[in-house]
Amino acid sequence: MASLSLKNISKVYPNGFVAVKDFNLEIEDKEFIIFVGPSGCGKSTTLRMIAGLEEISSGELYIGDKLVNDVEPKDRDIAMVFQNYALYPHMSVFDNMAFGLKLRKIPKEQIKRQVDEAARILDLENLLDRKPKALSGGQRQRVAMGRAIVRNPKVFLMDEPLSNLDAKLRVQMRVEISRLHKKLESTIIYVTHDQTEAMTLGTRIVVMRDGLIQQVDSPINLYNYPTNLFVAGFMGSPAMNFVDAEAVQEGDSVSLKFGKVSIKLPEKKAKALIDGGYIGKKVVMGIRPEDIHDEEVMLANNPETTVEVTIRLYELLGAEVFLYFDLEGTSFTARVNPRTTAKIDDTIKLALDPNKIHVFDKETEMTITN
Amino acid sequence: MISNPILQKTLDGITEISRVELCAFETDGKIAASNFEDAKNYEDAVVDFADSAAENQESKGCYFFKVSDEGSLEYIILAKGGSGDAYMVGKMAAFQVQNLLSAYKDRFDKDNFVKSLLLDNMLLVDIYNRAKKLHIETEVSRIVIIIETQHEKDSNALEIVRNLNSSRTRDFITAVDEKNIIIVREVKADETYDDIIKSCYTLLDMLNMEAMSQAYIALGTVVGEIREVSKSYKEAKMALNVGKIFYDGQKVIAYSKLGIGRIIYQLPMPVCATFIKEIFGEHTPDSLDAETIETVTKFFENDFNVSETARKLYIHRNTLVYRLDKIQKITGLDVRNFNDAVTLTISLMVTKYMKYMETTNF
Repeated sequence: MASLSLKNISKVYPNGFVAVKDFNLEIEDKEFIIFVGPSGCGKSTTLRMIAGLEEISSGELYIGDKLVNDVEPKDRDIAMVFQNYALYPHMSVFDNMAFGLKLRKIPKEQIKRQVDEAARILDLENLLDRKPKALSGGQRQRVAMGRAIVRNPKVFLMDEPLSNLDAKLRVQMRVEISRLHKKLESTIIYVTHDQTEAMTLGTRIVVMRDGLIQQVDSPINLYNYPTNLFVAGFMGSPAMNFVDAEAVQEGDSVSLKFGKVSIKLPEKKAKALIDGGYIGKKVVMGIRPEDIHDEEVMLANNPETTVEVTIRLYELLGAEVFLYFDLEGTSFTARVNPRTTAKIDDTIKLALDPNKIHVFDKETEMTITN
Repeated sequence: MISNPILQKTLDGITEISRVELCAFETDGKIAASNFEDAKNYEDAVVDFADSAAENQESKGCYFFKVSDEGSLEYIILAKGGSGDAYMVGKMAAFQVQNLLSAYKDRFDKDNFVKSLLLDNMLLVDIYNRAKKLHIETEVSRIVIIIETQHEKDSNALEIVRNLNSSRTRDFITAVDEKNIIIVREVKADETYDDIIKSCYTLLDMLNMEAMSQAYIALGTVVGEIREVSKSYKEAKMALNVGKIFYDGQKVIAYSKLGIGRIIYQLPMPVCATFIKEIFGEHTPDSLDAETIETVTKFFENDFNVSETARKLYIHRNTLVYRLDKIQKITGLDVRNFNDAVTLTISLMVTKYMKYMETTNF
């Protein structure tokens, strides 16, 4: 297995379109790195540059210690699993997995050894003689993975490998991939636009937007300490609630005011706003749905961040309830316990956890305080 | 001729069933396939038998059989042993090889027919006559798909395409040059154009994953008659070229989705040159730097919205306004105005087309 080093990588197409800008990233051996971002953000282009399927316009790419910018894809010691895979219909599982090795003229005995080993890892040993049409969706996906594993590559590149699967199978395969990473102890770079996959699989996540890296961090840090408004909004479902507010200082305390609502900030967050020169200026307040509470104890403890709202929509998801309401013309979502007594059209009190409030610069969209 | 591995596989299969050892010789006594240990010892006898008028004979403990194709001797089959079983098995093996020859010839004829069809090398009446002879249906929907690989004679890519299509027995896979693989695909009644495009993405991903090969895939439109297959081929060829000129980064290019690029591609070069000269004079859009081009592209992508474009480019809106003014100064076109924006877009495409034609010495 190997580490990767991407130094100032850019991709500019001849028409001037910049797909990836100045991409810098060090990937450690055995890391599970996720590239995540909205469609067109450059995540797949970056992956394809690592694979050698797109030329690198500028910058340097190292796999291990070797500069591979001009190395052919087949000589980069990588294996890929992409979104649109197909199994050869007339071939057995064994032959499907062995096909890539046969193309590379690997000796028969070695092919058998490598396919058997991959089949063992993927629990496909009993299915090696079967044809694709006799396999379930999950088994087919495992065979597709097996085609990459048999190559015994330094790095696995996966581009939305689960996006064509139904929801149930996707969850099942997510667990499989996580298990595989532990078993193979390999370096995996995984592209997805699904933040659940990103949060559950990655050791580190690279959030991208418009060809630029927005933040590289562990899943938990990305969630709790987003570096800007985009990351805060992109990670988490339902998304973080945002509202434009004005930072107002009253004595030692600082509040965020929007319409008739005033939310008093804790001391540390207040200091960040004062030190940053934001008093009297417009900022963006963010709060995650799960940090809005309807429990008595939270209401009693946070009178200065409690608001009165009318529930517009109530969604029971079994283990949780989403309450949708408007606050001074802005839509909000709260994720509360299903034991809540709130119903549609009820006017109730909700407390915003002041320690979980995020504040962003309105102009630059960078985080002021988390 | 049949490939030797196929011949070997056939003889091995028959031997495994019948326990009679078999060998196939070429007419000059060279071994084509064999499961005899001492096949070399029969070379002279085979040459003598080839020259004889006999259709079969028993000699040196073997039965000899001739396999001909349209009067021309192709192979000599030997069945080891002097028993009646050896004679029967040898005769069956010769019959099987004879049929393989016919099948191969049939396939070769079909391949030639499809190539001629694609290149428009046949009279209309011949198309229908030959199609009938080769049992190729004439009135089914078909589409031509061209796969261009980065390397010439990419046998891995061809093998992947053949294997993926193995269950689609009514499709034709051929090549008219060394860089392109062509699929003439039969379109099922319930298949939509988008389904076909999706399958092309699967093909692309498979070529990327399995052959680790860079490829472009282009599609023509669906045609309903066999005589229109060449039209679909020409469209796919155009899509391949137009896609490379105007749609950077797109690896699957469908003719029906080419948009304005399709029209520009068909403009004569002098018309393009005059157009650019009349509009821009000395300052051709070619002289715009990468930053300016990116600014314009993003501005159009964001529906002429200055604030949104500035945000996407991570610049202040005043900087964007300055850049747009600069473009107006250079080109005389105010891209905030729809008509000017269209003119600049077309001009940039025409310039790109001219550049492409110059580099390809067309």
